[in-house]
Amino acid sequence: MRFLAQALVIARRDFAALVLTPTFLVFLFAPLFMLGAATISSIGAIGVLEGARGQVAILAPASALPRLRAAEARVRRAVGTEPGPPLVRFEPDDGRAEQVLARADVSAVLAGDVVRYESGAGEQADYLALVAAAAEADPVRREERRRGDGVSARARSAAAFATVFAMFFLTLLLSSQAISMLAEERSSKVIEILAAAIPLEAVFFGKLIGLLGVALLFLSFWGGIGLVAAQASTGLVDWKGLAPDVGLPTFAALFLGYFILAFLLLSAVFLGVGAQAGTMREIQMLSLPVTIFQVAMFALSSAAANAPDESIGIAAALFPFSSPFAMAARAATGAPAWQHAAAFAWQTLWLLLTVTIAARLFRRGVLKSGGPRR
Amino acid sequence: MPDHALTATGLRKGFGKKQAVEHVDLSVPAGSIYGVLGPNGAGKTTTLRMLLGIIEPDAGERTVLGAAHPRQVAHRIGYLPEERGLYPAMKASDAIGFMGALRGLNWREGRRRGAEMLQAAGLGEAADAKVRTLSKGMAQFVQLVGAMVHRPDLLVLDEPFSGLDPVNQERLEALILGERDRGATILFSTHIMAHAQRLCDRLAVIAGGQRRFEGSVDDARALLPMRAHLVPRQGDARTLLPADARKEGEGFAFDVPPDGIEPVLKRLIESGNGVAGLSVERPALHDVFVKLVREADA
Repeated sequence: MRFLAQALVIARRDFAALVLTPTFLVFLFAPLFMLGAATISSIGAIGVLEGARGQVAILAPASALPRLRAAEARVRRAVGTEPGPPLVRFEPDDGRAEQVLARADVSAVLAGDVVRYESGAGEQADYLALVAAAAEADPVRREERRRGDGVSARARSAAAFATVFAMFFLTLLLSSQAISMLAEERSSKVIEILAAAIPLEAVFFGKLIGLLGVALLFLSFWGGIGLVAAQASTGLVDWKGLAPDVGLPTFAALFLGYFILAFLLLSAVFLGVGAQAGTMREIQMLSLPVTIFQVAMFALSSAAANAPDESIGIAAALFPFSSPFAMAARAATGAPAWQHAAAFAWQTLWLLLTVTIAARLFRRGVLKSGGPRR
Repeated sequence: MPDHALTATGLRKGFGKKQAVEHVDLSVPAGSIYGVLGPNGAGKTTTLRMLLGIIEPDAGERTVLGAAHPRQVAHRIGYLPEERGLYPAMKASDAIGFMGALRGLNWREGRRRGAEMLQAAGLGEAADAKVRTLSKGMAQFVQLVGAMVHRPDLLVLDEPFSGLDPVNQERLEALILGERDRGATILFSTHIMAHAQRLCDRLAVIAGGQRRFEGSVDDARALLPMRAHLVPRQGDARTLLPADARKEGEGFAFDVPPDGIEPVLKRLIESGNGVAGLSVERPALHDVFVKLVREADA
């Protein structure tokens, strides 16, 4: 009981020190900056791709244009997005096929049953030929078969990967702060006061709880925004189709549980590593292997998300530092309750182990002589 | 409360090949001010850290406030480390509240008491200031108040006077005496003898990782003979004085011989040199300390 009270004193101090500063707002809105950067680079990439693909034109009498538009839409869907169909413009056929092809931004033209194209634009010509053929043929009848729960295997896999990615992103953003936390204690020389008053294990746990508080605040903020956005886009996106097998409330609870464990486990590793660093330079040097480790866990869990019952999936679920990610992915695809119970127990055990080892390493490293040796 | 707030027997601690503390015994009476004196690198800080449970001894035993391990009574101990440390972005009163909370005091109560204590020490304006804006002396006081805010039974101060100007040193002495009057036991390390001589009821001298002396200040000063300063009335009296006599100003300084000062005076008077002035002083703690450290080095 006293241990917990001591840890909470540390947690309260750290939480306030992190949150009650103007720089926390910058941190809170960091995803917006990332989103902005991603949007800008996407726009650039789309521009480059469009420039590379060029445009094609379909010229036809006004009465035939709707049929051709429908056919082009079917072909577009079938072709997919990699590398993606060219941009298509539809214009009434007034005998200007050659003039249209002469434009700088058009590389192929379908007019009547002829496809004219520039050298090097063979793929665009093939695309137009496909559209022409599709327009001539009667559309085949389509019959959709749905699984009982209405979720396709592909959707499950996508949901699992999205879960792993979301968790990776959050832990990458949040838990890496832990690496500089103990360096702060050392540089401000408060650590000896802490070590004299309470066990270093309580200091470690307190720091983890404080960091977790910040992470949960962050998660609540963006989770709330996400919920509002989901509500607003109900008519545009079929959210039900993306819902995991276990149902959204259960999945949310499992996600939160695994997120907390993933965060605490990785933060504990980072605290342990950060405890060995005394200067900003050392922290920067230590950050790289830690980030690589984190990415490796993401890669392992991503691979496992597609094959949860194969050896890689089982390995990812068992390895303590990838286990929360892999099990969260399993929560998205459906797994028996006993697996989650066992995983929570396993990860908690490793959390305790990691904190204990990290605290001991820290004690050994920092309190050797009359003053911290640096 | 037991008779002794703190006892240690045969404490040893090494770091790699270096033996920082070889064999230290201490016995600190409850309610006393106890000084741990020693030169730089003597092992004072390591000894205090072992007594506080920050590090574990390789060998030896300690009892703190009746407990086998200091951690069991950490809430009854206050500690000012040699390396001063406060969070720079915290307000002084918050920092004091935080240190009190670490020892089990309610945070808000710690803040309130801290502000009161700073006010009483004439530093009331520091309470709402951020630590980073405080002078070194003020920050040191804030930390000291943080170590005392939960009203500990044992207050351990590692080099508390270092870096303080004379005015703040006096303030600190008053605070330490106030804590003793409240009933607390104070253990502090220093290599500034004047403070130890003024404050300590008992003291230990540590040099070369070993305890060289333990006892009262008077006991320590009795380790050296009394010091005489004699001014002859006339003539060259050098040959009539003890062999260790050295010229100092108009007279000579020397240790009072084992048979007393009277035979020396008799010789001077009988030879006609006479005595113009004489003072006999007890040796300062400083001299005893230097002697003990030199013996340890030898």
